[in-house]
Amino acid sequence: MKNNPYQPLNAEIVDIIDESALIKTFVVTPDETFRFRTGQFVELTLPGEGEAPFTPSSSPADTEKMEFTIMKAGSVTSLLHNCDKGQKVGIRGPFGNGYPLDDFAGKDVYIVGGGVGLAPIRSLFLSLLDRIKDFNSVVCRFGAKTPKDFIYKDSLFGPWQKLDGVDMKLTADEADSNWEYNVGLVTNILSEDDVDIKNAVVVVCGPPIMMKFVTFQLVEFGFPDSAIYLSMEKNMSCGIGKCGHCMIGKYYVCKDGPVFTYDQIKAYPNIWD
Amino acid sequence: MSRYEEDLWIITRDNLVALMEVFIKTREVIAPVRGHGEEVIFYPIESIEDVAWDWQYVNAVLPPKRFFLPQTEVMFEYRYDNGYKITPRYDDRVRMIFGIRPCDVNALVFLDRFFGGGSLSKKSPDEEPLFPDSHYIKRRANTFIIAFGCHQPGENCFCVCCDGGPFLEEDYDLQLTSMNGDYAVEVGSARGLKIIYGNEHFFHMASSDEVKELERIKEDALNKFGDTCAYVSKAIRRVTEAKVDDSLWEKLAERCLDCGGCSYVCPTCCCYNIVDIPLSEKSGIRTRTWDSCAFAGFTRIAGGEILRSDKKDRLKRRFFHKLSYQYIEKNKRHGCVGCGRCITTCLGDINMPSVVEAIRKQKVTVQAAATLRHEEEI
Repeated sequence: MKNNPYQPLNAEIVDIIDESALIKTFVVTPDETFRFRTGQFVELTLPGEGEAPFTPSSSPADTEKMEFTIMKAGSVTSLLHNCDKGQKVGIRGPFGNGYPLDDFAGKDVYIVGGGVGLAPIRSLFLSLLDRIKDFNSVVCRFGAKTPKDFIYKDSLFGPWQKLDGVDMKLTADEADSNWEYNVGLVTNILSEDDVDIKNAVVVVCGPPIMMKFVTFQLVEFGFPDSAIYLSMEKNMSCGIGKCGHCMIGKYYVCKDGPVFTYDQIKAYPNIWD
Repeated sequence: MSRYEEDLWIITRDNLVALMEVFIKTREVIAPVRGHGEEVIFYPIESIEDVAWDWQYVNAVLPPKRFFLPQTEVMFEYRYDNGYKITPRYDDRVRMIFGIRPCDVNALVFLDRFFGGGSLSKKSPDEEPLFPDSHYIKRRANTFIIAFGCHQPGENCFCVCCDGGPFLEEDYDLQLTSMNGDYAVEVGSARGLKIIYGNEHFFHMASSDEVKELERIKEDALNKFGDTCAYVSKAIRRVTEAKVDDSLWEKLAERCLDCGGCSYVCPTCCCYNIVDIPLSEKSGIRTRTWDSCAFAGFTRIAGGEILRSDKKDRLKRRFFHKLSYQYIEKNKRHGCVGCGRCITTCLGDINMPSVVEAIRKQKVTVQAAATLRHEEEI
């Protein structure tokens, strides 16, 4: 049967970049052209172990290769971390909605990220850069536990600090003596004056606890719930709204998400768990 | 009456046996058979001798969903040598389900719409499904349905409250109803009519008296189901509007053993997990197995965290999915056909009628309304 949504496409890991103690970026080349929108996710197969969902951290404009920044957390990811270049994998997707970039045009784009949550944000950020003139401003507030835990260090501490139209602040929960940025939780570096709240969208991606408190703070600042875009992490297994694992209220995170505005989901229980 | 064809046919029991002998030779016939105990289960039959006839059972202890969504199914075979080769495995056997009850047919229609969108069912949704499930569709597409209308409710049946029975108005090929020692045969599809015309010597047209008799039987049957009626619509409204106090789920959770039995015996429950099983260092299978929202591990994410770790939240989730209007809108019906199997199975007496009844009797408390407001505020 053609178009079996469960059929993975063959791909190969061509490069592996160490990001932090527990996080690596895998550069993957699919056998066929594979297109996605930023914020969509794919199911990555490690042969013999199984599938797990990841959002590419590379720009959708790069159709030759995709990058996945992956934290060692579960069974598939632990084995992925033991893989070498040349490892054959499967990819299936893309699934979900992604970030509605066209709706962001003409607005301040306020991006709040933490830890490995910077992975989907990098893809979004690169997509924004491609058409930076479409946006009023791009304001980034990124955090990590320690300076060592930041991923994309080469970009973050270097060229991304000096981009036209981008206002970037970094913070580490605990600093070391060489750290020249802010210290504390990411909520500490958010300010009501960062963007024009009436004409802004906020993108939040990070650990659930961080997303929860950032969202509460944004609401307190006066951001409308419909302008807060949350990337939800659930255990998407099928990717096509059938297996049932990722449901929040009436939504399947894999099909209707993984990007939701806060007003879509706030009435449902356990969204931050 | 929305039969495919208005004419009513009659087949004698002997002729039906003879007709079934023909079918058994040409396709896989799944029929109710007696298990080792007194229970009746659906099973592929080799001889008509094995069949449990309609007067011998009310319904099979398990729904026939496993023939279309097996408890464990091989979706793919993979080999991993120099490259990775993963090949789908389909099952497109020509099948007939004989003796399926209307509630289970309605459950199949529910699954058809969920997995296949409009392609298998007349009650098609307005939009094309985003991702039709190739594996389910292949299994289901070549299945001929001979349903048996229900004269007599079982002790746990409540199909009349759930638009599940006791007779079908559509979505069958042939519907048989026991009548004066013979069977009245209603035709629900072109395929059904083809069977009649292809085996005309087994059937004869019903007389006008017989047509009236069938109507009388159906009315009688409906009356017999009256007392078991649950108040589903009120529960739907309260669940939809989040007007069920959490204390109800807490109380139920004390009795839930999170065994998953409710999901496994439910003809519309169809959550699953996809798991790779290596068969050697270089090869293996990708399987799909039933899963259940009752299990704690159902929402486990990488790293081991369980998103819905509280049993109360899992029960709430289960009944929200079955009853809320948000899902009725998607599935075109609520998620219960009234077969009553959860009543038989659950050791903690958590089942659709008991939960619906508990919701109905619960006063909408200030707390329930406050919980909702609180969730909106935070």
